[in-house]
Amino acid sequence: MTSEEMTRKVKELSGQNPYLCMQCGLCSASCTGIGVMDLLPRQVMRFLQLGKEEILKNRSIWMCTTCLICTARCPRGIDIARVMEALRTINLRKGNDILAPEDVPAELLAEIPQMALTSGFRKLSA
Amino acid sequence: MGIPYFPGCTLHVKAKGLDDSTRATLAALGLELTELPEWTCCGTAFPLAQDNYMGMVASARILAKAAKEGDGRLVTVCSFCYNVLKRVNFALKNNDEARTKLNAYLEENYNGELRVLHPLELLRDDLGFDSLKTRVDRKLKGMKVACYYGCMLSRPAKEMEFGEPENPALMEEFVKAVGAEPVDFPYKTKCCGSYQVLNNYDLVAGRVKDILKAARVRDSEVIITSCPLCQFNLDWLQDRFADEDKSFSKIPVLYFTQLLGIALEISVAKLGLDNHYVDPKPLLQAG
Ligand code: SF4
Ligand code: SF4
Repeated sequence: MTSEEMTRKVKELSGQNPYLCMQCGLCSASCTGIGVMDLLPRQVMRFLQLGKEEILKNRSIWMCTTCLICTARCPRGIDIARVMEALRTINLRKGNDILAPEDVPAELLAEIPQMALTSGFRKLSA
Repeated sequence: MGIPYFPGCTLHVKAKGLDDSTRATLAALGLELTELPEWTCCGTAFPLAQDNYMGMVASARILAKAAKEGDGRLVTVCSFCYNVLKRVNFALKNNDEARTKLNAYLEENYNGELRVLHPLELLRDDLGFDSLKTRVDRKLKGMKVACYYGCMLSRPAKEMEFGEPENPALMEEFVKAVGAEPVDFPYKTKCCGSYQVLNNYDLVAGRVKDILKAARVRDSEVIITSCPLCQFNLDWLQDRFADEDKSFSKIPVLYFTQLLGIALEISVAKLGLDNHYVDPKPLLQAG
């Protein structure tokens, strides 16, 4: 995927314009993924503005919990969670995913509520 | 005929206590629920890719069927079900493309007319918190409660209409009505890590520690929620935290309907209080 294709696809899937981002960092400061994400949402936005396709291979997009704190706070009105989902979706539609059923430990599987499985596999599995 | 009710998959299995306590408490207060005659999983997570209508079909089907009950309302209590049903309903009402495509898939003609309601809204609007105050048998006087909304109830604010996206107040009003004391809880809409429990233990453990610490700083005796996944994440990790750190003190995590059941003196067996990791029974002695 070329950088132009990626930018077009992200805009189309998310309905958001990454160029509106002014790099204030409020989304990163608020993000649930702090501490485990290698690139926080502000950096993800910057990679998109610069058209760097390597953002598609980034781990952070798989750490997002779609909690919408970033979306609620962005002073530029960007629905950042939709941008993260667009990056996941491009991957998932090519069969690139992060979560396989056999990765879930049996002890956890025995205890975890059903909706965690449905939502987790919907977001993280192709 | 009670108000149409969608329990959702988790409430029939792992979060049976939420289902049982919701039905028992609302019935005790004269708000009878009637389970939809047939239903499926709601899909749990609202799809955020603009073209992903397939991710909305399950919810749309439930909504279209529920509308045929003729009540005009649909009650659901799990925060995930509530979020996705409400967002899909919003899309059916306000997004022409979503309405056309989903109705074409389902061979229905449903346009988002239902009101999707959370039991907290029923308690506020149909019973009234002033009336609830007079109905509680056992005032939970002085019990300090941290109201944990998580990420699903109040966001996005425009669609959920559940108060401020980061500072809703409905659960606190409810806690006051049952005679307990809501603490100031800045982490109330922070995310617990959610389904990342399947993928990234460190993420969830980190967020849960932050939330429990914020609750404890305010001397909370109990955390309440309406989300089976928040309940699970906040509850099951505490044993492990206690093993790792001898100074860690556990805090029970209940469904708000279980707290209501305690206030109404509904028998413990009907409230599912036995199914939590951190034993909430000591709370029953308090007050
Ligand atoms: S909060 Fe909005 S404007 Fe600020 S860095 Fe994040 S995306 Fe950009
Ligand atoms: S929705 Fe994702 S990117 Fe935004 S704050 Fe939550 S975890 Fe971070």
